[in-house]
Amino acid sequence: MRTLLTWTDKRPWAWSLLGILILWLVLGILTARFSVQSLSGVMTTAAFLLFPALGQMLVVTTGRGNIDLSIPSVITLSAFLSVNIVGGSDQMLPLGLLAVLGTGLAVGLLNALLVLVLRIPAMIATLATGYVLATATMLANRSASGFQISPILTWLTSGRVASVPVIVIVALLATGLCALMLKWTVFGRVLSAVGQNQRAAAFAGIPVGRVVTTTFVASAMIAALTGTLLSARAGGAFLDMGSPFLLQSVGAVVLGGTLIFGGSATAAGTLFGSVLLVLIVTTMQIAGLPGGTQEIIQGVVIIAVLAFAGDARSRGSA
Amino acid sequence: MSSALSKDRHLHAPVPADGDTLPGRSGPVVVLDGISKSYGPSRVNDGIHLSIHPGEVLGLVGANGAGKSTLMRILCGVTQPDEGTLAIAGTPVEFGSHSPREARARGIRIVHQELSLCTNLTVAENFFLESPDHGGRSPVWRPRYRALARRGIEAVFPNSGIAPDAVVGDLTLGQRQMVEIARAASDPALRLLILDEPTSSLDSERGAQLHAFIRRRARDGVSFIFISHKLREVLDVVASVVVMRNGRVVREGPAAGFTIHALVELMGGDGERRGRRTGGVPDGSARQDAVPLLRIGGQATAPLGRSIDVAAGTVLGLAGLEGAGQKELLHRIRACAAGGRDPDLTCTAQAGFVSGDRQREGVFALWDVLRNMTIAEVARRRFTALLSPGAEREAAERWAGQLRLAPERLPSRLLDLSGGNQQKALVARALLPGFDIVLLDDPMRGVDIGAKHDFYRVIREAADAGRLVVWLSTEDVELLECDRVLVFQNGAIVRDLEGEDISEDSIVGSAFQSEASGRSAPAPAAAGPIAAKPEASNWTAGLVSLMPLASLALVAGALGWLNPSAASLFGVDLLLSSAVPLVLIALAQMVIVGGSQVDLGIGAYAGLVNVISATILVEQPALGAALLAAVLAGYSLLGAVIERRRIPAIVVTLGASFIWLGCGFTLQAAPGGSSPDWLAAAFGWQLPGLPTAAVMVVLAGLCGLLVDRSRLGVVLRAFGNNGHALVQAGWSPLRHSVLRYLVAGLFATAAGLSMTAITTASDINAGSSFTLLSIAAVVIGGCRLVGGVTAPAGVVAGAVTLSLIGSLLSFLDISTDYNAAVQGLLLIGILALRTMIDRKETEA
Repeated sequence: MRTLLTWTDKRPWAWSLLGILILWLVLGILTARFSVQSLSGVMTTAAFLLFPALGQMLVVTTGRGNIDLSIPSVITLSAFLSVNIVGGSDQMLPLGLLAVLGTGLAVGLLNALLVLVLRIPAMIATLATGYVLATATMLANRSASGFQISPILTWLTSGRVASVPVIVIVALLATGLCALMLKWTVFGRVLSAVGQNQRAAAFAGIPVGRVVTTTFVASAMIAALTGTLLSARAGGAFLDMGSPFLLQSVGAVVLGGTLIFGGSATAAGTLFGSVLLVLIVTTMQIAGLPGGTQEIIQGVVIIAVLAFAGDARSRGSA
Repeated sequence: MSSALSKDRHLHAPVPADGDTLPGRSGPVVVLDGISKSYGPSRVNDGIHLSIHPGEVLGLVGANGAGKSTLMRILCGVTQPDEGTLAIAGTPVEFGSHSPREARARGIRIVHQELSLCTNLTVAENFFLESPDHGGRSPVWRPRYRALARRGIEAVFPNSGIAPDAVVGDLTLGQRQMVEIARAASDPALRLLILDEPTSSLDSERGAQLHAFIRRRARDGVSFIFISHKLREVLDVVASVVVMRNGRVVREGPAAGFTIHALVELMGGDGERRGRRTGGVPDGSARQDAVPLLRIGGQATAPLGRSIDVAAGTVLGLAGLEGAGQKELLHRIRACAAGGRDPDLTCTAQAGFVSGDRQREGVFALWDVLRNMTIAEVARRRFTALLSPGAEREAAERWAGQLRLAPERLPSRLLDLSGGNQQKALVARALLPGFDIVLLDDPMRGVDIGAKHDFYRVIREAADAGRLVVWLSTEDVELLECDRVLVFQNGAIVRDLEGEDISEDSIVGSAFQSEASGRSAPAPAAAGPIAAKPEASNWTAGLVSLMPLASLALVAGALGWLNPSAASLFGVDLLLSSAVPLVLIALAQMVIVGGSQVDLGIGAYAGLVNVISATILVEQPALGAALLAAVLAGYSLLGAVIERRRIPAIVVTLGASFIWLGCGFTLQAAPGGSSPDWLAAAFGWQLPGLPTAAVMVVLAGLCGLLVDRSRLGVVLRAFGNNGHALVQAGWSPLRHSVLRYLVAGLFATAAGLSMTAITTASDINAGSSFTLLSIAAVVIGGCRLVGGVTAPAGVVAGAVTLSLIGSLLSFLDISTDYNAAVQGLLLIGILALRTMIDRKETEA
């Protein structure tokens, strides 16, 4: 038992993987319709959650209670932008992407500026930015046009390669890339240092401001791209499109085993966390639970996991 | 039973009039026996025996890290020992039941080195925190504590000039120390008072008052443990001395039997007294020719009248009394070496940095030794560069060898190493990247003597290899290792000592230069800026407290000007009725923010109350009331989860907001419902000539003020300011975290009910928009997001302003689409303004 605990201490993603396996097994036995086929559906939905969750993970890892609450607003705004600009043609796609990424960059920089220069706590700064973006979204909503989707985006979000959804392949690639960056690059190392002890990091010569800025920009830009992909999948944009991602992006990160206190991140864990969260939601839908109950359960699961993780941490440092 | 009684009587037996001799007849107040305590591999207390008799004044001395503080923490119930027994007044005490609160009940009090006052509270309120039972049950409790504070301070420090209603944050460091001492000493149950460095910020007159007080109370039978680094003072004040070294008691006996020199030797100071290093002197000429790496001039060297050039290959010491400016200069050099501009400094090389405050400024707790050692080297490279584990390991092993750190320790967690070895890893971190300058901020603090010698050698080797080592030390003996020493006073360099001129006498002599009384000098540098501070903070505090009222007047004025009918009785009532829920939610948020947390689910919670009260409470009042109580209990439980699991409140309350929304959605899928008649009546009355809504707002504000000024409110604010001190004083953090959420939940419940009464309907989404607005109102109102500072009146004004802004925008024909943006920008703007004011304040 003790060796198992030390093994999982080094591999915080193991718990969420275990959760997936158990839930899947139970579902398979109970419903009999749950198969590899339906897993691919779960994976596709999880992929859309994974992207913003990876960004959220980077921000959370910078520590000091940093969190990006502007993700939902960025997703919604960029969904509207891409619907309005791309309008279903591949020729307009580069311009649309440019606009979307530019928005992400601007929001990320603004968030970082508020947090670093004006010293506003990240949650309040990003919440406030989110409100400003909400107004921008309503303005974009006035000129919302058509439901045409560019073929490239259609392929990206609904296509399959050898019966595996393209978006799932992209998600796996993104997870791999992120994991590689965390473990094998200088950025991954200094990010962890900043999250553990910002003062010590600054004294060790780490450009703390640049690290924090990078994470906010990355989070906002990834969220912006997610908005484009979501609009392609949903066939349009609507207000509140990004709302579920507020809790779920945090939830996937926490379920995956990334420390909410910062300093330690796991990309694989965030992948498993996303899948687990989607699986939980899917299970509730199959069970026919009403929407309100589904939200209650999501909230309870996240608080419970946090409470458990807090316990694990105190055990680790004792 | 009878034996305990007889011992009790024994204790109150008269003590010999002469407090300086040990009263042998009565039993000891406290006996600690066989106390051992280990942190990881280091044994900080090792089989210690200590007994104190009534009326005894005991001096406890030892170098940093000798285990004094741990022993005192064990005595006060803060720390549990691994082994050993404790008896108080002859009665054995289980350590399991010996909490700080119990220790105080048994008459043991401590004045900590790091002060445990809450700076956001007044002197009298701080007295309340320590003796909450003094005031009885009466709701009017402040006057009693004002009197208690005045009496307590006067008893120890006559004519102190400290007002009981002064906010502690506005007092000087010395005054705070006086309050701290007086607070502990005024405890009527006092049997043993532990004073840990009590005179570090006191001038000699106040010090003498304290000494007199100690002698006086000792004659009454109160015992004292006096811990100080000022050895002369210790020998003056105490009757007997206990010397500790490396976790053991090495000597004890009457004070008369010790000399300062003997104490220093016993403590493991410079007993061997190594002579000045001479081996490096032949390099001296080469050093003169070397390019200066660092030039210090301008204000920093004004008293010296010339600038200072420091060349490579030098060990440069920075000396002076604490707070004389050497630490600031060291950090300025660090910033300058990192490429920053500084008017007084020119720095032509990069620098590594080692701090003696390992926990706060050095350690990366999640990492092994290897990664802790190499991080500064890694940080020099591009973000996108790949790590090279082989090279990292090789460099770390090389430096581990140089510092005599066993290479097999490299994969273990840094925190599992002893203090000395941790510090070695951090020194390696600074040396490993090969920077030309190495900055040391008192790096040997709390490090064993063996590790120290390894440091001295490595520092010398680094200098010989052509590096410039800048070494701030608080131990004058260490400065003898330097080639050159700069002595600081009042923020500037007053002496530049070199070679043979460096001696303890010359350093101490320069540091105290202008002091009339030599040794007992307080920190004069600190007196100036601190004395000036209250003025500055009064000025900005005035501005901050005016901000909410000014903005309210502005918005209200604009409304009246745009639409004169808004100023009518009916107009005011209409405009303000939508403000009532926000005022209540903002007050709830204020209670949470007072504990340096933020609730992201408070609006949703009020929305849920709105739904319950407009549906179930109408049809089945009993069930509805029960549901409301259950929801409130659930909300209070969040406080327990946050405190017990130590998880960020934002994430918990964010998760909870989905629970509230989900519950509300389940109860009522679409807006609707109605208000219970009694609830509508409760909000529907009218006083002739007064707008009801305005009266409601004022009433809500009064409730907020009442809670804020109550005993519970004071404790909740105290937790937001200095939770650690409150735990030491015996307050339960869990209980008060739950109470905090309960109080906030009550305000939010009132908000939800008011929403039902005013709109006579419910909508689960109606509350959510209040969350950000409540945070904004709290910030406008003058509360601090870091906790501890609350301002109910300001919060009410802020909330009303924010809710009027919505009306203002519609009067101006601006689309409601812009509401969110205006609210967001307003919040950012206010916080930005606050940050700038704070920055001005710290600069002033």
